[in-house]
Amino acid sequence: MRKQRRAGGRALIGLVFLFLYLPIFLLIFFSFNAGDSSAVWQGFSLKWYGELFHNRLVIESVATTLLVSLLATLISTVAGTFAAIGIYSLSRKWRDPILVVNDIPMMNADIVTGVSLCLFFVAFFNGWGGFARWFNGVQSAVELPTRLTLGLGTLLIAHVCFNIPYVILNVAPKLRQMDRNLVDAAQDLGCTWMQAFWKVILPEIKPGIVSGALIAFTMSVDDFVISYFTAGSSTQTLAMTIYGMTKKRVTPVINAVSTLMFLAVLIILVINNIREAHQAKIAAKRASFEPVRQPRWVEQAREWLGTRRGRAFRRAAALAACVAFVVTVVSLTAFTTSQPVVNVCSWGEYIDEDLIDEFEEATGIRVNYQTTDSNETMYSLLENGGADYDVVVPSDYMISQLIEEDMLEELDYSQIPNFSQIDDRFKNLPYDPENKYTVPYTWGTVGIIYNTTMVDEEIDSWSCLYDDKYAGQVLLINNSRDALGIALMYLGYSVNTTDEAEIREAYALIEDAARRGVYQGKVMDEVFQTMEGGNAAIATYYAGDYLVMLENNEDLAFVVPKEGSNWFVDAMCVLKDAPHFDNAMKWINFLASKECNLRNMDYIWYASPNKEALEEYPAWYEEQYEEELDPEIYEIMAAPDEVLDRCEMYVCLPQETRKLYNDLWIQLGID
Amino acid sequence: MKNKRSLFAVPYVVWMAIFVVIPIVIMLVYSLTVTVSTETGEAMEFTLENFTGMGLYVSVFTRSFWLALIATAVCLLIGYPVSYMMAREGEGFQRVAMALIMLPMWMNFLLRTYSWMSILENNGLLNQLFRKLGVIALYNSMTGRNIEYFQMIRTPGAVVLGMVYNYLPFMILPIYSVLSKMDKSLVEAAQDLGADTVNVFRRVTLPLSLPGVLSGVTMVFVPSVSTFAISRLLGGGTSMMLGDLIENQFLGGAYNPHLGAAISMVMMVIVVICMLVMNHFGEGNEQAVML
Repeated sequence: MRKQRRAGGRALIGLVFLFLYLPIFLLIFFSFNAGDSSAVWQGFSLKWYGELFHNRLVIESVATTLLVSLLATLISTVAGTFAAIGIYSLSRKWRDPILVVNDIPMMNADIVTGVSLCLFFVAFFNGWGGFARWFNGVQSAVELPTRLTLGLGTLLIAHVCFNIPYVILNVAPKLRQMDRNLVDAAQDLGCTWMQAFWKVILPEIKPGIVSGALIAFTMSVDDFVISYFTAGSSTQTLAMTIYGMTKKRVTPVINAVSTLMFLAVLIILVINNIREAHQAKIAAKRASFEPVRQPRWVEQAREWLGTRRGRAFRRAAALAACVAFVVTVVSLTAFTTSQPVVNVCSWGEYIDEDLIDEFEEATGIRVNYQTTDSNETMYSLLENGGADYDVVVPSDYMISQLIEEDMLEELDYSQIPNFSQIDDRFKNLPYDPENKYTVPYTWGTVGIIYNTTMVDEEIDSWSCLYDDKYAGQVLLINNSRDALGIALMYLGYSVNTTDEAEIREAYALIEDAARRGVYQGKVMDEVFQTMEGGNAAIATYYAGDYLVMLENNEDLAFVVPKEGSNWFVDAMCVLKDAPHFDNAMKWINFLASKECNLRNMDYIWYASPNKEALEEYPAWYEEQYEEELDPEIYEIMAAPDEVLDRCEMYVCLPQETRKLYNDLWIQLGID
Repeated sequence: MKNKRSLFAVPYVVWMAIFVVIPIVIMLVYSLTVTVSTETGEAMEFTLENFTGMGLYVSVFTRSFWLALIATAVCLLIGYPVSYMMAREGEGFQRVAMALIMLPMWMNFLLRTYSWMSILENNGLLNQLFRKLGVIALYNSMTGRNIEYFQMIRTPGAVVLGMVYNYLPFMILPIYSVLSKMDKSLVEAAQDLGADTVNVFRRVTLPLSLPGVLSGVTMVFVPSVSTFAISRLLGGGTSMMLGDLIENQFLGGAYNPHLGAAISMVMMVIVVICMLVMNHFGEGNEQAVML
């Protein structure tokens, strides 16, 4: 009976472990995949481990994560231990309220902690800006920086903030268990307080400190939400990098790096376990008065460390380790901050990443390259005040909104000679009539992507997005402007209408279809995985992205429906008061060149506004791959005039209409 | 001497005032204002409309709390027996098991959740397995329907699964820690006094493990109710949760930090009330425990 129950218990524990580890094994398994899919096995390969060392984004985010977690753990362990000692020597009247406040960061939802810290930092930066300007005005001896931004510093503060409570929580019970008379006794026997601390208190509470530090470190490494809100634009932890990728495609490089980290921790845990088991054995032996045999060298080393010289050595070694640590941290931060940089915010997988390396090599300017997934998100990042981007790549209508709100800086075209290569039809467009702010980056159309094996007709109308026939098979684009714009086009209205009744009618169309269960989900960049894997039949997305999906799934087809569609231009702009204006000019000029446009086109499949690059692309393709570029593909990428004729460009809508769009969109999410 | 030692608490109290209390106060200020553009620039103006307009989001609140509640219940149902069984095992087994429960946290939770996506997709591993095993054919012949896959991803169920998967260790750790420290002689005493297994559990073990359960419930419920990454990855944007709504107001499409702050405040207050009510039943248990 008893044995049976025990076996049952073990089976249950085993099942839970299977549940916990199944996805992890899968991740590790696919880190050895020859292909880049996380679902289809294409043979064994170690190439992702090799690539890991060339992927700067991943390596840097791992370094940031480890640096921040280590520093935060170190600081919070020391601070938390002393705080706990302090708190426990207070009277109850004071202790209890402090412990309640101490619990707040732990009890609060991460998102609330993150958001409140973010608001706090931004408010502080604004106040500081005013103070620094005043201070710099009244004296000239010290020049204070007037502009602070979110970054490594704020990230570290945030991590320390949520780590300290864990340390205190783990140290506190040990303090409570400790006999208070011990310290008094030590002091009566002639110890100073410091000596009493080192010799009495510390050994007593050491297990609490160790487990507190361990939990703090684990929490720090695993944290995403708080980092997401407090890291700003130039710092990225591994979690943030992964979050950016989960939308589009997680490269197996991430699997590889996570596998390595996982193995490292596993080894540490195994060693620790063996050591603990060993110690338990020693303790058992001691209890039975059997002599414990240590290897000879261990005993000798121990003896030597006990001598005066040994003690001095110990201190020197500890000091050296501390100094080395501080020097590494300081030099690392100094190295990363002293380099000339340009901060770029673009869309996911919207550049041939080798170009970034080449630009850095050629100019010595470091590129902090971050991505978001929609114009609206980018706008939030800018409005939020914590980001300090130089170059952004918004679409047409968002550009006019940014110009209207005076958020863009006029470009210095004398520093961008390559602007002359841009096709005249992409200059002086309505969003920037005098072309003072922008250099076009790409252009393209929105259309329907469908899986020919799952749809048995030739689709040529938006109507399929609202058709019961495809219930549960349609992916709605998760962005108010495109989704409502498409519905407006289907109804025969202008995509730029400001007539509330028309917009509401378009909304009703979508809402009705949603209620009937037509939509499987609302996606942005998640569309890649879903469509490539054949998990949905119909989606709406951008022409260039369709061609990327086509590379991974040949059954997909693309059409610009007969009712017309949207055509867009994404252009590079520089934000007002950008801290690295000249570097930004160099970056823009670099990307506007013919060579870069050809390679980008080849990589992201969005059409280039560079006249020669676009015209020469088919020939270039043939030269590169020794095969002809399918003219159909070229036409999808660079839509010919007859297609563009039925397309309309978005213009910036007035404030009330934008609010209506937003409200309707939230409404759709709620129901 | 005592007073001198209590000075150690001062820096931390100052730290908390700056980085814990003031941010929440700022959030409160944000939730009670709106930004209006005036001639001189932008200014904040007092208003209650962020709160009064929240009726619109009632369904998001109920959905989030409901899903988080289910996830917490499932975690408790799985986590309690596991902790109970673990606590009765030998010391070596316990040590290894504890390490194994902590270990997954070292693989970033987003990545693990992403891994679930490829398991749960319509063409994912689980559906492929079902197809191979003939489960889907069996289902079709039994119900007379004609499906090619079970829709698992982009459903509320997938979101709950993601929560359970991610937060189960937070339920097991505190319960286990209480159970393993429990004085075994209490159980023996109860048995000596004639209690049967059920009664021993009900009148001795369970009440003693309550603090662990309470802190486990807190540690699962709070992150569940406020998650946005899990619902985004596994829910496919179809069922908006509180976390999504808040994130959307700060870094998403609908930029309105004032509304976001107001929603955060309301969520915080509701969570605190839940915790207070729960702790009331826990009666004077000093604090949450983890290890």
